[in-house]
Amino acid sequence: MIGIISYLVFFATVASILSIAVLGLNLQWGNTGLFNGGVVAFFGAGAYGTLILGSAPQDGLLGGFGLPYLLALFGGMVIAGIVAWIVGLLTLRLRHDYLAIATFGVAVAFENLVRNAAIFGGAQGIRGFERPLRDVFGSGLAYNALFFVFVLILLIATYLFLERLIASPFGRLLRAIREDETAAQSLGKSPSRVRLTAFIAGSVIMGLAGGLYATFYAFISPQDVLPILTFQIWAMLIVGGAGNNKGAVMGTFLIWAAWTASGWALSRFAPLDVQLYTGSIQFVLIGFVIVGMLMWRPQGLFPEKLVVSQSAKTGR
Amino acid sequence: MNGLKTSVLAIGAALGFASFGTEAAAQDCTTRIGAVLPTSVDWGKPIAATAQYAVDIANETGGVAGCQIEMVLRDTQVDPKVGVDAAKALVDLDGVQLLLGAVSSGVSMPILTSVTVPAGVMQMSCCSSSTAFTALSEDGKTNGLFYRTFATSGVQAAVGAMVAQEKGYESVAVFYKNDDWGQDIGGLVARDLEALGINVTAQIAINDAQASYRAEVTEALQTQPQAIYMALYPDEGTQVVREWISLGGTQNMIAANALKSEEFKENVGAQFLGSFIGTDTASPRTESADAFVAAYTERFDGPPSGPGLANSYDATMIALMAMHAAGEGATGADIAAKIGAVTDPNGTPVTADAAGFAQAKEVLDGGETVSYQGATGNVQFDANGDVSAPAVMWTFGESGIDEMKYISLTEVNDFMASMK
Repeated sequence: MIGIISYLVFFATVASILSIAVLGLNLQWGNTGLFNGGVVAFFGAGAYGTLILGSAPQDGLLGGFGLPYLLALFGGMVIAGIVAWIVGLLTLRLRHDYLAIATFGVAVAFENLVRNAAIFGGAQGIRGFERPLRDVFGSGLAYNALFFVFVLILLIATYLFLERLIASPFGRLLRAIREDETAAQSLGKSPSRVRLTAFIAGSVIMGLAGGLYATFYAFISPQDVLPILTFQIWAMLIVGGAGNNKGAVMGTFLIWAAWTASGWALSRFAPLDVQLYTGSIQFVLIGFVIVGMLMWRPQGLFPEKLVVSQSAKTGR
Repeated sequence: MNGLKTSVLAIGAALGFASFGTEAAAQDCTTRIGAVLPTSVDWGKPIAATAQYAVDIANETGGVAGCQIEMVLRDTQVDPKVGVDAAKALVDLDGVQLLLGAVSSGVSMPILTSVTVPAGVMQMSCCSSSTAFTALSEDGKTNGLFYRTFATSGVQAAVGAMVAQEKGYESVAVFYKNDDWGQDIGGLVARDLEALGINVTAQIAINDAQASYRAEVTEALQTQPQAIYMALYPDEGTQVVREWISLGGTQNMIAANALKSEEFKENVGAQFLGSFIGTDTASPRTESADAFVAAYTERFDGPPSGPGLANSYDATMIALMAMHAAGEGATGADIAAKIGAVTDPNGTPVTADAAGFAQAKEVLDGGETVSYQGATGNVQFDANGDVSAPAVMWTFGESGIDEMKYISLTEVNDFMASMK
């Protein structure tokens, strides 16, 4: 029983961390229509930033500033924001698939940077991070439960922040830009500035997710920031429903549960001779879920609620 | 048998083994061990199959500590998130105290730091080569729970430097694959070469899947080395060597084991590989290693030719023997504490087959120690859970890969010590 609880806490922690990243993407794509194909770059910037700022000094590595944890996590978010600001200035004039390709390139460049720069730990990554408050709570279930609560609070805070943001006039402006940029401009708005703001805000949220992820594993390496993560996060948003924050969170839990439960079930119930192929079977199953979703419910499980005007809305 | 199981039974078995096992039930009890290996990748499947093979051998002799062993295999997809989740599920849901895996260091490491060490589960990797594990252990953060049967890159790097010394090369340029394995071995070989007074003219990273490596090759060529060292895989290796030779580079080449491939020889052309010398860690010249090759060939209709197979076999065997020595209901720390009793150089030598496993159990039951003579040799772990290994130098011959020289474990250790 303890084992099941312990695993569920673990699962929920990872899913909550990924949810935060998906919420960040939802702000960019779901609400503003920015096709960010480089989610891992901002996730990774937050992760590396947090570990570099928060870990003890190590030979040949940048950092080891040993900042208090919350400061390090915040610093990771700031670094993700700075990266997003630079990338945004350079690429946000691009639209749709062009933006996707450019940001995808940024993510690949980021991975190559950390893989090659010895000061970021190279291919071996950054290890030896001391998780905050570990000496107080030990390293067992109690600690994991506490960390889960911390992540959950941040997830709820992010969710509430985004819900308020998109219900605000600024949220309407984001949707206006998504639907028709020229029309928004004709009303005296500045689409390029708003796009940049949304892009940075979303990336900072992804950076927060990255920082939590690196803290949870006490380790980060280039293998954690491969393009597959970008695709996983996109799949979560598409299945959940782009433009709907509840959908973003539900989609994350659902896809991550499918990803892990299918592996568990196959290892448990598949006959011995197909055990070796469970990995491949799992990929096929997950592919089916995503393709099926796109064919029969392309708007996602929780489609965006379109509101004509604020006054016509009848409560959330 | 697996198909008949219901989840109720499964959970019952997991709970039963944890605390309620009795002598009477010992005959039909099952102990679970976990394996997290990249089975969705081609070369990962045989590694997992070999681990299962070792488990079957243990079960043939009546199991471990009176119980049959069931290996629950999970795929890592070479994705750290997926691998860590699989490991956590094995530890929490299946209650395993022994985890085999993973292959990539980038997956093994987060499993170690966030799953096995916090839960006190022993982790035994067949194939992770990164020196980061040694460093983590030196920092006291593995609690002695991590072991691996894959010799660190140090051995091959040292032998590579030994080749350069024997050949009398005065300057060497190093090409390395740009991943954790390549960066590790590239850095170590450069250090060893310098320690031997050989000039390292360039250290050049080779990224995967580039259309051309002309820029990298030219950069090395400008430094005019007498020889090149390559820690590359066949695909990039072929291309680098082709461009190197077409630009007039020397044919004095030294390479790590990843280029030990017929494909590489054919694609480059044997006429250009006359002064090519490769290195590899070797199976020792013992009967048990030959016996492993013979037994494996019979079971899988072919010799163990893929990477990490002998290592995977030894990892599983040693861990299971230690598990037997630790007795029923042993925790990960108990098992880890018994590794020394299984790999004691002064213990009774036991072979790596069913007879050897049975003998080991008998000796261990009597409170004595054994010296496991495995597929990768007379395995001995150091304080950080690392192993050393004998090595070979090899060349491309007329009809295949010819061994040039065998360097015993003692010679390897002495040579490495002499450079310190």
